[in-house]
Amino acid sequence: MIGALGGFFHGFLGEFGRYCLFTAEVARTIRRTRGNLKPILDQISQVSLRSLPTVAFAGVFVGAILVLQFYDMLRQYDAQIFLGGLNTSAVVREVGPLIISFLLAGKIGAYSAAELGTMRVTEQIDAIECLGTNPIQYLIVPRFIGIVISSMLLLVLGLMISVLGSMVVAEFACGLNFLQYLSTVPRFTSVGTLGAGLLKSGVYGLIVASVSCFYGYTATGGARGVGRAVTLAAIYTNLYILAANFAMSSILDNLGKLLP
Amino acid sequence: MSIAFWEVSKAFGPKQVLENVSFDVETGQILFILGKSGAGKSVILKHIVGVMKPDKGAIIVDGQNVTRSDADGLADIRRRCGMVFQHPALLDSLTVYQNVSFGLRTPQFARTLKRPMTEAEMRVRVIEKLALVHLDADVLDRLPQELSYGMQKRVSLARTIAPEPRYLLFDEPTTGLDPITTRAVNDLISELSRKLKVTSIVVSHDMASALEVANRILVLDQAKVLAWGTIDEVKRCDEPLVRDFLSETLGLSLAEAR
Repeated sequence: MIGALGGFFHGFLGEFGRYCLFTAEVARTIRRTRGNLKPILDQISQVSLRSLPTVAFAGVFVGAILVLQFYDMLRQYDAQIFLGGLNTSAVVREVGPLIISFLLAGKIGAYSAAELGTMRVTEQIDAIECLGTNPIQYLIVPRFIGIVISSMLLLVLGLMISVLGSMVVAEFACGLNFLQYLSTVPRFTSVGTLGAGLLKSGVYGLIVASVSCFYGYTATGGARGVGRAVTLAAIYTNLYILAANFAMSSILDNLGKLLP
Repeated sequence: MSIAFWEVSKAFGPKQVLENVSFDVETGQILFILGKSGAGKSVILKHIVGVMKPDKGAIIVDGQNVTRSDADGLADIRRRCGMVFQHPALLDSLTVYQNVSFGLRTPQFARTLKRPMTEAEMRVRVIEKLALVHLDADVLDRLPQELSYGMQKRVSLARTIAPEPRYLLFDEPTTGLDPITTRAVNDLISELSRKLKVTSIVVSHDMASALEVANRILVLDQAKVLAWGTIDEVKRCDEPLVRDFLSETLGLSLAEAR
């Protein structure tokens, strides 16, 4: 039992080390690369357009669910007026970035891992290298930057859709009109809150991009290897996002207390 | 000008795929590497272009040690070596024209030419190379998945020869091709060697092609070199695997082959 546990951690640490080296190599390549914006813009538009309907759908329902949950609690203290502020703050700071990153992990992360894995096992990546092009620069860097920027853009779009959905639900289910709903938003949601949400979205986007690209890029062993890469990418992306969420929430909360 | 392997060893985990492998190939020669599946033949090619690193030994290309080369050095070696992969390995999202012209757009190629190639020049070069592998210009705008496997392999070959490399490394170039295209590929390898002094290393199972095209043959088995030399030298080799390859190809019984 202890041996098996030790073996698991040994394997995990080895894999995590290779993942860190891969991410460092991508960062070095980004620094060395002179800006070629077209592939990055292509990635941003592809990722954003592909994910927008899912994010919009999730945004409406997440906002609606939170409205109903908060309304029940606030009504007990006759504090329904704070519904808009609390709901928006929760979506911007925690729920929005987390839900969007999970959706991106399932949709874009799995897609990237499968695409890169297939390219690896069919020797397309070797061919790119042999033709004198750095595959990290050609394939990974645009995906990396594209996914990070897209996840921040999607947060802003998802947030707007979520607020709209919440306002509609608050009007019809809780009897709070739009003006009442919006009146407490500035009290709970500052520029700092939005900044923290964007920062989280960016970091989660980075995790989605780096983990999915790592497992896809290093896939081996034909179709089975590609399947394994996609599964591992999905599992580790979600685990790393949860760990990062805990770390960032602690840091940002402490930072918030220190600031005037 | 040559490629030399000097006591190269490579293992993947517990599996030894190359053990003290040494050989060299001179300018304009055609070396066929034969052996059973999993004998380590393709691994040799990947070592030459630096996609894999040996555990021990050295690989020298034109006097330059591949294993000790930095990124720029490797890019330079890859510019001189064109590799045809076992699978077509065409980029799915690019058209045939974009695939074949891929290597013509790299900074290394522009350095060799001392200027970037114009789009018009590229088009002429791409059509010329496609014609060499018996493909018409009407495939230029098609995506790889719209072509048959044999056509994809020929596009892959055209892509490799487009930057006119000094060395050509073929990983089972005729697998999956019809006899006519197989013959065309063999003729192309011979022609490039004869006219342009291109050096070729061909990994294959096909002894018939080797006897027709090669100057030298190397037979690998269980990570080691079983036989290496000219066709006549290999024909005289007593190793059972070499005899098997020869007897299969020449249609002789084992006893007759001896």
